[in-house]
Amino acid sequence: MNETELLSPYTARAMEYLLAITYLVLFIPFWRFVQGEAAVPEHALGFGWFHVPNGVHLHVGHTWARPEGGDVEVGLDDFAHKLVGPLDAVRLPEIGAPVRQGQKAFTIVAGGQPLDVLSPVDGHVVALNEAVRAHPAEAQRDPYGAGWLMKVEPRWLTGNLKNLFSGDAARRFLDLAASKLAGRLTPQLGVVLQDGGTPVHGIARALDEDHWDELARLFLEGK
Amino acid sequence: MSEQALKPAFLDGPWVREKLFLGMPLRTYLKSLLTPVNAIAAVILLAGIPTIAYRFAKGLGAATNLSQTNPWGIWVAFDVVCGVALAAGGYTVACAVYIFGQKELRPILRPAILTGFLGYALVLFGLVVDLGQPWRLPYQFFLTPGTTAVMYEVGWCVFLYLMVLGLEFAPAALEWLGLVKLRRLLGSLTIGIIVIGVTLSTLHQSSLGAFFLMTPGKLHPLWYSPFLPIFFFVSSLAAGIGMVVVESALSHRAFHDRLDPAASVDLERITLSLARGGAIVLFAYFFIRLQGLFASGRFDLLATGWGAWYLFEMLGFVLLPSLVFAFAARRRSAKLARIAGVLTVLGVILNRFNVSLIAFNWNVADRYLPSAGEVVTSLTIVTIGVLIFRWIVNRMPVVNEHPDWRGAH
Amino acid sequence: MDLNRRTLFKLAAAAGTAGVAAAATTSRASAVTAARDARGVLVDTTRCVGCRACEAACAEANALAGPEKPGDDSVFASKRETGPTAFTVVQKGTAKSPGGQDRFAKSQCMHCVEPACASGCVVRALEKTAKGPVVYHADRCLGCRYCMIACPFGVPKYEFSSVTPLVRKCTFCAERQAKGLVPACTEVCPSGALQFGKRADLLEEAKTRIYSNPEKYVHKIYGETEAGGTSWLYISDVPFESLRLPKGIERKSYPELADSALSAVPFVITLWPPLLMGMYTFSKRRDAVAAKEGDGKQEERHV
Repeated sequence: MNETELLSPYTARAMEYLLAITYLVLFIPFWRFVQGEAAVPEHALGFGWFHVPNGVHLHVGHTWARPEGGDVEVGLDDFAHKLVGPLDAVRLPEIGAPVRQGQKAFTIVAGGQPLDVLSPVDGHVVALNEAVRAHPAEAQRDPYGAGWLMKVEPRWLTGNLKNLFSGDAARRFLDLAASKLAGRLTPQLGVVLQDGGTPVHGIARALDEDHWDELARLFLEGK
Repeated sequence: MSEQALKPAFLDGPWVREKLFLGMPLRTYLKSLLTPVNAIAAVILLAGIPTIAYRFAKGLGAATNLSQTNPWGIWVAFDVVCGVALAAGGYTVACAVYIFGQKELRPILRPAILTGFLGYALVLFGLVVDLGQPWRLPYQFFLTPGTTAVMYEVGWCVFLYLMVLGLEFAPAALEWLGLVKLRRLLGSLTIGIIVIGVTLSTLHQSSLGAFFLMTPGKLHPLWYSPFLPIFFFVSSLAAGIGMVVVESALSHRAFHDRLDPAASVDLERITLSLARGGAIVLFAYFFIRLQGLFASGRFDLLATGWGAWYLFEMLGFVLLPSLVFAFAARRRSAKLARIAGVLTVLGVILNRFNVSLIAFNWNVADRYLPSAGEVVTSLTIVTIGVLIFRWIVNRMPVVNEHPDWRGAH
Repeated sequence: MDLNRRTLFKLAAAAGTAGVAAAATTSRASAVTAARDARGVLVDTTRCVGCRACEAACAEANALAGPEKPGDDSVFASKRETGPTAFTVVQKGTAKSPGGQDRFAKSQCMHCVEPACASGCVVRALEKTAKGPVVYHADRCLGCRYCMIACPFGVPKYEFSSVTPLVRKCTFCAERQAKGLVPACTEVCPSGALQFGKRADLLEEAKTRIYSNPEKYVHKIYGETEAGGTSWLYISDVPFESLRLPKGIERKSYPELADSALSAVPFVITLWPPLLMGMYTFSKRRDAVAAKEGDGKQEERHV
């Protein structure tokens, strides 16, 4: 085509083959990289690992709400409990205090760090779980039952519930949180979790002793 | 004349109010239309519609910068050649969901098909504006079919695919209208329709590249290749994925109130799954483009200004989005995936512009730049598409599922 | 032509294997078969004096406005272009002959043996006739202007200023030829630079002229292989580029460039559906198996 020197047809064809083989050699690691097979955490922290029963509505800040009679029970979800580990204290608002969906409702203390928690609904507080206040570390044994924290008289429950996850959506939401977390897991920790054991001090502290509270806040703020 | 006569009864009937005015009375509905976005759209339409009228009244010469050396401008390069590629999301996602069983992509299937359908309708609109005597468009089907022409094959495929897209989208319209029996019938035909749609898309997406097979002397050798049809086909897959990533993020923001609360969780997962596909497709596309370069053997041209422009496209808008998609999938960052999506879409537009406009006629003195009228017309066509998309999404079950048809085909 | 082909097929069927082979070679119009009886023009640029009589005759035959500035040689100063109202123009070469004379070459549609414009026309507005001319049916053209994109010689011109625009180009005076007349330009040429005849004969004539004057002529016939062969053939004693004849034209037929892509279409139509249906069945079965296995686990999770 051009007047300048032409490659011999043998060389030209050989170069095409060489390029194709180079591609194949690069493709395999690229595929593994994209599909994330090298990363253990994905299946170590399998989907469905965090528990959520039907009838419970989850807020993005990992609190839950369950309508009971005219009131709504509020607590921390399974994910939040496993993330922060046993609670040292729960600082709940006073009875009659107003709470707003998506805004700070109470504070939990774990590992000496106070962590703010958002309210899943609008309303005002009508009851507090004194048993949990007395023994906060016990709350994680039954996060959706005896581990409830307070009861709220809701202002517009139907509207509030629209912004919460329930059923399959709730499970998917926890799966997503799990996969976000999985990106940070070390293979060893992944194995521990897969066996069903949670580190004594919670996943967050096991991941990063020094900055675990920042990680926990990120999830509790719904980010 | 009384006010009653001015406002016919049907305009405020319950059906009209529910189906057309989003459940609002006429007056409230009209008031709800006064938004900044609508104001911008109105300005574009006010400028664009007279421009299009001017083009038909005075001819192509008066409205465009087309010339004897540059017979094709942005109405072909953007409205038709880019338009078809950017409408590829419909068949890409349909193929992934139905053929490959990627069920998690289902929530974005209908928006993708609707975008595809409107995209092709707008391509047709663009074509009508660009053709010298558009009323003769049907001749190729009935009177004097030029069977040897690439355009003949493209014409048939686009015509048939438009109907297929109509059928693919029809379930949403039928659910909206409550036509149960027809909806069931269509559901049973789904897979056949999808297979035909994917086949037709393969054909005409690649044939758009075949347009330029006969222009070896005019298209710069770095872009001309006997493999242009394959390049166009593979990059249309990338364009489809990129468009769906971008478009689903945009409509998620715009139609937030119509979505289930779980949708944002789903969308993140969907975006990442698309990112994996996008990374692989673009990676392969990068290497087949390189094969094109190797086959031509014109490495000497890489050292020229055109070579720099070629590398700019290849590295910045093929390889880079592939890697960003890969990192997004790896780090599970939907945000990164969206950046890669934008890069991909820009990359496909850049490629289509290069082939049909920029690197075309690279060696002649008389270069083309679009006139203001051409730009305004193209903008108008895009605006009309966005407005129709929004009108439909606000009424029919597109981004959300119809409660009676949850999980149905 | 069609009729001939059909008759050939019948003959072939009757004549057995040998006949089949013959039919197979003629079942598709090719450069060779189409050109056998086709007309052409030999342009001997060594004889052209640049009088532009051909331009005037062309304008008259096609009812166009006359050529610009007749008789005024100042028009030769820059490259001239054919246009919607000028189907042929005479160019002045940039090089002089060995004898120091100016050289000229007329440009117009080359009437390719296998024209890109006609093969790419979606409504057959441009058509290659068996006699050689590439003719235009104004009543079919929808104005996509793909012919202008496809033509390697840049011949088709468009009436951009019209509201019902048409493509305009040299018709090789197809109508005159049908009446037994010769093309208008070749009729008026006073210097014998334009010779009308059968393309095959003209090729031989051109070669004869080159061989009998090997020092005078460039040893090449422009149009013999350009774009797979054209009806108009040029010989010259100066380089063809200097006569402003387009360079870099592929040697092969342009429609052939798109042929492989179009031939793939039936194969895609045949193979894609079974392939896609196969993948569909596979992924459906995989889902069914997964659902069966997943049942037990699902229950555990809800306890």
